[in-house]
Amino acid sequence: MPLKLLVTVKRVEDPESRIKAKPDGSGIVTDGVNYKMNPFDEIAVEEALRLKEKHGGEVVVASLGGAAAMTELRAALAMGADRGLLVRHDGALDPGIVSALLQALVAAERPDLVMLGKQAIDDDQNQAGQMLAARLGWPQATFASKKESLESEAEQKKQPGVAVAADGKRALVVREVDGGVETLEVALPAVVTVDLRLNKPRFASLPGIMKAKKKEVREIPAASLGVELAPSVVVRRLLDPPRRQAGVKVADVAELWTRLHAEAKVL
Amino acid sequence: MSNVLVIAEQSRGTLRKATLSALTAAREVARRTGGGVSALVLGSGAGAAAEELAAHGVPVRLADAPVLAHPLAEAHAPVVAEAARAAGASWVVTAATSYGKDLLPRAAVALGAAVATEVLAIAGDGGEILLRRPMWAGNVIAEVELRTAVKAFSVRPTEFAPAARAPGGSVTPMAVAVDAASLGTRFVELQEVKSERPELTDARVVVAGGRGTKGDFGPLSALADDLGAAVGASRAAVDAGWVPNDWQVGQTGKVVAPDLYVAAGISGAIQHVAGMKGAKVIVAINKDADAPIFQIADYGLVADLFQAVPALRERLKAG
Amino acid sequence: MARLFKGAEYLITEATKDDVFTPEDFSEEQRQIAHTADQFVQEEVTPVLDRLEHQEPGLAAALMRKAGEAGLLMIDAPEAYGGLALDKATSMLAAERMGAAGAFSVSYAAHSGIGTLPLVYYGTEAQKDRYLGKLVTGEWSAAYCLTEPEAGSDALGGKTTATLTPDGKHYLLDGTKQFITNGSFADLFTVFARVDKKHFTAFLVERTTPGLTVGPEEKKLGIKGSSTTPVVFEGAKVPVENVLGEIGKGHKIAFNVLNVGRFKLGAAVTGAAKLAFKTGVAYANARKQFGVPIARFGAIQEKVADLTAGLFAAESLVYRLAGLIDDRLATIPKDAAGYYEAYQQGIEEYAIECAIAKVFCSEVLADVVDEVVQIHGGYGFIQEYPAEKYYRDERINRIFEGTNEINRLLVPGTILRRAMKGELPLQREAMKAMEALMTPSLDELDPSQPFAAERAVLGGLKKTFLVVAGAAVQRYMDALKDEQEVLLALADVAIQVFAIESALLRAEKISPRLPESRRADVAAAVKVHTFSAVEKLAAAARRAAFYVAEGDTLTVLLGGIRRFTKYDASGLLAAKRRLAAAALEGERYPL
Ligand SMILES: Cc1cc2nc3c(=O)[nH]c(=O)nc-3n(C[C@H](O)[C@H](O)[C@H](O)COP(=O)(O)OP(=O)(O)OC[C@H]3O[C@@H](n4cnc5c(N)ncnc54)[C@H](O)[C@@H]3O)c2cc1C
Ligand SMILES: Cc1cc2nc3c(=O)[nH]c(=O)nc-3n(C[C@H](O)[C@H](O)[C@H](O)COP(=O)(O)OP(=O)(O)OC[C@H]3O[C@@H](n4cnc5c(N)ncnc54)[C@H](O)[C@@H]3O)c2cc1C
Ligand SMILES: Cc1cc2nc3c(=O)[nH]c(=O)nc-3n(C[C@H](O)[C@H](O)[C@H](O)COP(=O)(O)OP(=O)(O)OC[C@H]3O[C@@H](n4cnc5c(N)ncnc54)[C@H](O)[C@@H]3O)c2cc1C
Repeated sequence: MPLKLLVTVKRVEDPESRIKAKPDGSGIVTDGVNYKMNPFDEIAVEEALRLKEKHGGEVVVASLGGAAAMTELRAALAMGADRGLLVRHDGALDPGIVSALLQALVAAERPDLVMLGKQAIDDDQNQAGQMLAARLGWPQATFASKKESLESEAEQKKQPGVAVAADGKRALVVREVDGGVETLEVALPAVVTVDLRLNKPRFASLPGIMKAKKKEVREIPAASLGVELAPSVVVRRLLDPPRRQAGVKVADVAELWTRLHAEAKVL
Repeated sequence: MSNVLVIAEQSRGTLRKATLSALTAAREVARRTGGGVSALVLGSGAGAAAEELAAHGVPVRLADAPVLAHPLAEAHAPVVAEAARAAGASWVVTAATSYGKDLLPRAAVALGAAVATEVLAIAGDGGEILLRRPMWAGNVIAEVELRTAVKAFSVRPTEFAPAARAPGGSVTPMAVAVDAASLGTRFVELQEVKSERPELTDARVVVAGGRGTKGDFGPLSALADDLGAAVGASRAAVDAGWVPNDWQVGQTGKVVAPDLYVAAGISGAIQHVAGMKGAKVIVAINKDADAPIFQIADYGLVADLFQAVPALRERLKAG
Repeated sequence: MARLFKGAEYLITEATKDDVFTPEDFSEEQRQIAHTADQFVQEEVTPVLDRLEHQEPGLAAALMRKAGEAGLLMIDAPEAYGGLALDKATSMLAAERMGAAGAFSVSYAAHSGIGTLPLVYYGTEAQKDRYLGKLVTGEWSAAYCLTEPEAGSDALGGKTTATLTPDGKHYLLDGTKQFITNGSFADLFTVFARVDKKHFTAFLVERTTPGLTVGPEEKKLGIKGSSTTPVVFEGAKVPVENVLGEIGKGHKIAFNVLNVGRFKLGAAVTGAAKLAFKTGVAYANARKQFGVPIARFGAIQEKVADLTAGLFAAESLVYRLAGLIDDRLATIPKDAAGYYEAYQQGIEEYAIECAIAKVFCSEVLADVVDEVVQIHGGYGFIQEYPAEKYYRDERINRIFEGTNEINRLLVPGTILRRAMKGELPLQREAMKAMEALMTPSLDELDPSQPFAAERAVLGGLKKTFLVVAGAAVQRYMDALKDEQEVLLALADVAIQVFAIESALLRAEKISPRLPESRRADVAAAVKVHTFSAVEKLAAAARRAAFYVAEGDTLTVLLGGIRRFTKYDASGLLAAKRRLAAAALEGERYPL
């Protein structure tokens, strides 16, 4: 059964850029900062492409944000996605709004699977996928991973980690959880959020990049989707993380243990 | 009503310790809002965990049903929402474990709640509660306000001390209305991690040795096993052929950023430090009080590692 | 549409910021292509550099196939054969990013540049059908065989012969080619040989050709992860269909392909330099001496600032050249019959700028790796730190694709030749410059204008070239072509003018669009670069003056040089500190 896959693509600061708060705490210093596709989303796009390669179907990528996000959508199209949706909104977003906007896209696109990165590496929220599943009343499988390593043969052959049944009705998802590796079966349609060890995303080939230019990207004003756009998670200010304290010498093993246990809380 | 509900986490009747950190955070919120704290334990055969949590002085609702046997967000979320309503909670708190992170945002939708994840500290003045949480991989700490009537957050367990035992707790069973047939999610299996040593670069704790070990990594390895830690080494130790190459930490070895890094018999050369300075807590054990490693260690112990390390193991076992 | 410049025209006319292409002008697709090249280097090449260094069999060829899968070998090839027919700016951008791939960058350049382009430009349809598809996918790797033991710089001096078999179906090749990049694994060799010991001709030779043997791997100072071998032909039987281009026209192929090789090398070394630079600034931040990071010391900051400025100039120059070439090539109708003929001429027009790019950028890389070792102190000398390898890998770039001497000589040599042919009004302009020399101008600087000082000196720098070149011609006339010391000095003047102007025009073009602090960084880079480049230029001009003049003429020349090269670099120290701070803060090339 061909699959229709909707994948989210967020424009974020390149993790290799140096991020620090502005002195007045009103935001981060953006001078000299580069942008790229959220790395978790890149993995979601890769997984969707592999699923499409195996089952046939269509991969639609969606981004919510300013006009600049077109770059990341094109990057996903260059990897091989079929078409893009850019929900234009220049104001602040929070996971509640994101999930509501995605819900509206789902209503229009009716995908079998929505795939998202487990979190975006800017806000590090880790909520949108779960909230979307809740809104839709769909099953969710968060933190998708796989048992084979990224050096394994299955990975070399670019096989999908998410195993969709031939009839397209169910999928097995391996998840990375605290105690180990969990496997869930979800009925489709469902929401899957992906973790780092699911796959190694391909990079866009040059022909892919050139073809992406011609692929359709539809812009949709966020205001047209009937979603309340006032954020309810509001960042009041940004601070620098605490710096390493000057060290102390401890008298003996007993004091060392107490400090590690009660003060540093690492034991 | 500004009551606070803690969502507990348990496995086969054993309470996860992270829940006690969430309880501490919940109490901090309640202290500020003037509300009361209660907790919810979900599972099947989870009574012992509920009793354990109640022993920390908190009234516990126990949602115990076969349909909740596995930690499926789809099954658990409606129970959380119902319990929050029943508790008159305007705050819902859990630990930022994989269970909490999976469950909380899903439950929050049913409550119309906004969520803050991985909270490190509770800030703000008086009645206004702001939550501190890391963004951009911890390069920045944000102070966040939640503007919904009901609010939810998950806490990073390492940032809140676990609540101590206290009297006054209780366990009250709660009816569970989730219909197993309605679920689109089915638990298949859980493969628990093998207790082999973790990867050096992923490990939460790294125990590393240098020339000071004189080639005997026995005590350090034993400590590492006690802590579920990986073992690292300075180049001097690697070059001497005492340990494999891939144990080397440093500029030309691996770069690690564990929660805890124990450097024993390592002088702290810049090349070594380059590979471990990102550790959250650094402990140095060295005979030489002037060793440069002490300049960057959070806790320095001037001692012979062959005495100090076994002693530390003893102390650990004592708990 | 930018105005179309002739080669070397920059020396005699004024260009404006709208005449130059800059790295800031790249389209979204071009940026994505750069990103793909970056990822390719990071994910595919860097992890296996050690294995490449040990010449692991099959690895380089496998990487070439992966580069093919990523489309990185398709840039210059026509669409009909699976290529993408993208412009030179894209090709240079990819080469720049691949420049960070260490020795593999050389393998890549040899394959996609000198290895593939002769076929693209001169191949028949049948030849392209047979080979080009395999080369653009990386299924086959390519090598270029020009050099011989006795014919290096004297590239046409080769002794390899091609003899037609009596049945007229084959040529038998005999001779030895030396220093052939990709030799150990290439499947297709473009080989130059003399038909009947006379007519210099190119041949496409398959690896499996009987009579072709590949010699042992050379043990090299650097780029050890690339393959360099002799290729020996002993009656190697090549079908007549595999003659590339016309018999006796091999020199055109050799030289035209070298032009492309040179500008691509300029781009590639700029990428290598950025990588080495990044390592250096990161080390300066991490290394503590005297209780503080060495990055706090002015001695280190000055190095960092000078290197940053040099890199800015190298980038500006390389992409300006890309723009020049692309603008010209864009005027050729794609489906015209003699397309590649015209295309070749289009590139040949900028042979001077190509040579400049090769020399200037390879020398910027040399400065960078040298100072990066220095910043590392003793650790720069130790193999465990990458600085040591960068230092060794750099050296070849001043030798191949024409040694820097050969390329320098080509600059004034070609200018003078074109002047003689009436293609460049050099004489007229030299006269004007002489007049200006005699009539001091009293133009005042308006310091409120951005880049006023640089604008003010630039015209003088061009005049410096014209008066010194004029004096040299007057002194030696036709024999000037044999006075290499003079030519080299003139080349240095011409090179610095191009670099200074390219950096300035780019800065003028991009500044209005930049946030304030970035704009100040760019202005600092221009100041720092202009200052050191003017110093070098003035020294070269004086050298030339002493070579060609004496007595009163010499006095006049030296006076003119002094006046024409007067540059007000007020605020230089602050500019250096600013630039260093920007680089050290971001731990990479900041512009
Ligand atoms: C190019 C280069 C690259 C390098 N890269 C790395 C790298 O990646 N990683 C790395 O680690 N090093 C690296 N080094 C080596 C580095 O400079 C140091 O030499 C090395 O880290 C020293 O190892 P050490 O601390 O174990 O040994 P030492 O410096 O000899 O220190 C041993 C320490 O053990 C203490 N000691 C001795 N006996 C005892 C005992 N019984 N109990 C407690 N303490 C004791 C001593 O007081 C001393 O402080 C590099 C060096 C170079 C030149
Ligand atoms: C690693 C490596 C890879 C190579 N790859 C290839 C390849 O793939 N294909 C290929 O065909 N070749 C290749 N070469 C050959 C390279 O192009 C030549 O080495 C280069 O052209 C110089 O020739 P040569 O070594 O014979 O030096 P020579 O020509 O002997 O030069 C020696 C010195 O004399 C100077 N000199 C020579 N002639 C003049 C002159 N007329 N005026 C002033 N100075 C002069 C030179 O500048 C130089 O300083 C490669 C070389 C190396 C080392
Ligand atoms: C092959 C080799 C053999 C050696 N042999 C010996 C030997 O036999 N005996 C011995 O004792 N040592 C020896 N050395 C060590 C050598 O003397 C040191 O490497 C050298 O003194 C530089 O020190 P460093 O490597 O720590 O560099 P660093 O001091 O870290 O210098 C790094 C950079 O910072 C600059 N810098 C440092 N401080 C300042 C400052 N205050 N102001 C401005 N700039 C500054 C330096 O100029 C350099 O560019 C040897 C080193 C090598 C590589």
